[in-house]
Amino acid sequence: MIQDYLILSVILFCLGILGVISRRNVFTVFMSIELMLNAANLAFITFSRVHESMDGHVMAMMIMAVAAAEAALALAVVILLHKHKGKLDTNVFSLLKG
Amino acid sequence: MFAEVLFIAFAALSILGAIGLILFRHPMKGAMSLIVTMISLAGLYALLSAELIFVLQLIVYAGAIMSLIIFIIMFLNIQDNDLPIEEGRYLYLAGGIAVIIPIACFMIKVVKSIPAHQATIVGNGFGGVKEVGLVLFQDWLLPFEIVSLLLLVALIGAVVLAGKRRLLK
Repeated sequence: MIQDYLILSVILFCLGILGVISRRNVFTVFMSIELMLNAANLAFITFSRVHESMDGHVMAMMIMAVAAAEAALALAVVILLHKHKGKLDTNVFSLLKG
Repeated sequence: MFAEVLFIAFAALSILGAIGLILFRHPMKGAMSLIVTMISLAGLYALLSAELIFVLQLIVYAGAIMSLIIFIIMFLNIQDNDLPIEEGRYLYLAGGIAVIIPIACFMIKVVKSIPAHQATIVGNGFGGVKEVGLVLFQDWLLPFEIVSLLLLVALIGAVVLAGKRRLLK
């Protein structure tokens, strides 16, 4: 029972990584990162259920707060980049390329 | 028995939503399928008897964060010809799968080596607001305060970034 949840968490995390590597749309990359955070949350909750302690739940709440902060900042950056370049392609946003 | 059926249904829905996220071309459809994943993950949390996280997942993730993303996608008014041309998408996807599958197999092997846990019945208050709050404000007080600082910084940063053009004019 517990292993099924952890395997599902691994699968979701790998799908998130695949989304980050294979797509060039900023929004899809961002949402794939959210998917990876969710997979980590699932693993935390599962281990919390195994050990019957509340620490995993608290950690999941922290991850949700970090995800909310990340969403606010990342979407502000996306709006700014879209204003400057008018595109959503991650290859166009190469300001930091050496 | 009923819990297993629910688990399989929610797991299948969440994996389908994730696959839809990485395959749909328009980000709006991707966001919709990600919402399916979030809601079925909330169902899985309910199966793991994490009541507070179940509610938070529905309100914060599927509610607040995803509606923020959808709001921004609609705000930018993305048409089909604004989307990047991703001609090498399936190539990258195939390469990514080839790299990821050994790692995933290794991780699944590690997971399988965890000793099997009997499905015990947890106590009455497991996962409730009171229990999580007690742990949060006793053992995790300092991380909690740091998270509040992080949210403050993110708030100021978002205002500075998104309101920059108006300030310059």
